[in-house]
Amino acid sequence: MDKQFIQVGIRRIPAPATKKTKWYEGKPIVSMVILGIIVLGCVCCDLFIPKDPTYMDLYHTNVAPNGEFWFGTDTMGRDIFSMIWYGGRISLFIGFFATVISTAAAILFGAISGIEPKWLDNLLMRLTDIFLSIPGLLLIIFIQAILGRANVLSISFVIGITGWTSIAKVVRTEVRQIRNSEYVVAARCMGAGFQRILWKHLTPNFISSIMFMVVMNIRGAIAAESTLSFMGIGLSLEVISWGSMLSLADKALLSGSWWIILIPGVFLIATMVAVTNIGNWLRKSANRKESNL
Amino acid sequence: MIRKNPFVYYGQKLLIFILSVLLLSVVVFYVSRLAPGDPLVSYYGDRVEKMSVEERRWAEDKLGLNDPIHVQYVRWVENALEGNFGISYKYKMDVLEVIGGRLANTMILGGVGFVLIFVLALGLGIFCAWHEDNWLDRVICKVGTITSCIPEFWLSLVLILIFAVNLRWLPSSGAYSVGNKDDILDRVVHLILPMTVTVVNHLWYYAYMIRNKLLEEVRTEYVLLAKSKGLSKKNILFKHCLRNIIPSYLSIMAISVPHILGGTYIVETVFSYPGIGTLSYESARYQDYNLLMILCILSGIVVILCNMIAQVINERIDPRMRENEIAETSEVTNVG
Repeated sequence: MDKQFIQVGIRRIPAPATKKTKWYEGKPIVSMVILGIIVLGCVCCDLFIPKDPTYMDLYHTNVAPNGEFWFGTDTMGRDIFSMIWYGGRISLFIGFFATVISTAAAILFGAISGIEPKWLDNLLMRLTDIFLSIPGLLLIIFIQAILGRANVLSISFVIGITGWTSIAKVVRTEVRQIRNSEYVVAARCMGAGFQRILWKHLTPNFISSIMFMVVMNIRGAIAAESTLSFMGIGLSLEVISWGSMLSLADKALLSGSWWIILIPGVFLIATMVAVTNIGNWLRKSANRKESNL
Repeated sequence: MIRKNPFVYYGQKLLIFILSVLLLSVVVFYVSRLAPGDPLVSYYGDRVEKMSVEERRWAEDKLGLNDPIHVQYVRWVENALEGNFGISYKYKMDVLEVIGGRLANTMILGGVGFVLIFVLALGLGIFCAWHEDNWLDRVICKVGTITSCIPEFWLSLVLILIFAVNLRWLPSSGAYSVGNKDDILDRVVHLILPMTVTVVNHLWYYAYMIRNKLLEEVRTEYVLLAKSKGLSKKNILFKHCLRNIIPSYLSIMAISVPHILGGTYIVETVFSYPGIGTLSYESARYQDYNLLMILCILSGIVVILCNMIAQVINERIDPRMRENEIAETSEVTNVG
């Protein structure tokens, strides 16, 4: 029967094979696992670290990794294995907290700049440019000097307050695009205030485009903390973080103790690579098209 | 859009530029004086502690530190307009002299580094886009991501540990060996490590950008058309796609000049390379106000100028840009 009614010129197109993707495909599983282990290990470090990370064992300074001290000890005789997990807490906390500060500042600044009249926008953007043109390192030294001696909160604040500009610019551009859309106008007509429009209408729309930058900001903040502590502007030696552990590096270079430099660095970089991969995945998952080439 | 008179256009830019620099100088002047710390220490060294009250007052008067800040600022501007930027408290020389001796070093490190990054990033980006999702591309992407995550100071430390401490092939600090100031080979040897760090640290960021921009371009309709006309892959990629992304690459690289220069600050400090970076770090930490001001203004001028160049390039390519500014300032790592 069927064969009698073959339509000429119309070919049945085989349905494209819809490959069933497994839940883990395309996701940065390895990075997530590594980051998970590091975060979990740092948060629960009290449960398993073998030594007191702050105790200075003066009989065992500069010991290379061995059975008792798995990652060796530093020039002050502290156990590096314990310090890694204990100090990771502070490094991760600074990364997280600084990002919260900078994101909040960026959203507020960008949104004001995007919504308000042109002259204010111009002024704010000009200020941003000025802000950007002071070298980051000097700016941090200034602010840190004004705040006084560095502690965990003040250093997060300093890093956060210097790292919001790029997000703010993106927020501003996005806000300028959607501020005249019907739903914002409607909300305004109904008497919604700035706060409500910002959090209920604008934020959900630009959050996906800044998500990548926010994640990258965590990475930047962790790197900044370690750099500052290394250069002696950040956390002091007694406050253990990955950065302050590395500030012993110049002494370690003299004695050739590679473990003091390499081990905290490897943890630092592993965290940052994992965060970067997750950030890249976030960005990629937003748009993926076929190549025409 | 009505084309503006070029004089008006560039005049406006110049005005904005001058205003920005002026505002920058005000901000830096006030902020640096708000910071606690004793500028006398950098001028008189340890003798400050033994000074009596009258001696201190006299010293502060001599350096003009007792006047209200705005008086100090006006005096500074007046002197600066005459080309007199004061003396460095620490080096007790004219600040321009202090900087002059070191500017060339930073220019070499930053300038050559910038050119290397510019060329290598372009090559690497095209290479990766050509081999999209190939194993080669994947390996390079993975390695690149890791290198871009390594903090500059750590990479410097590891390189020093390997090449200077263990292998003893390369020097670990300075710009030349003592007494060997004019030996070019010696200088080059001293440059290798800092240069490697600078390039490796920034390279992937730009290469990845090129790769992604090319891949975005490859997904447009005109490429499909070109391909159906029978053009070769090489032809399409180099003659069509590349040509479309080069202008935006140029503008991004213009913005990145200060970014890369900022990165050399840390590298210079770790390698104790006598450049602008180590100098500004010292001057900010030890309240060497006059030196600090000129350094901040110099770097500010570079940043503002580069941003303007980027803006001009962008507006040339795409007149729509005149309305909105460059949003693509890239993720900014705070330090450098």
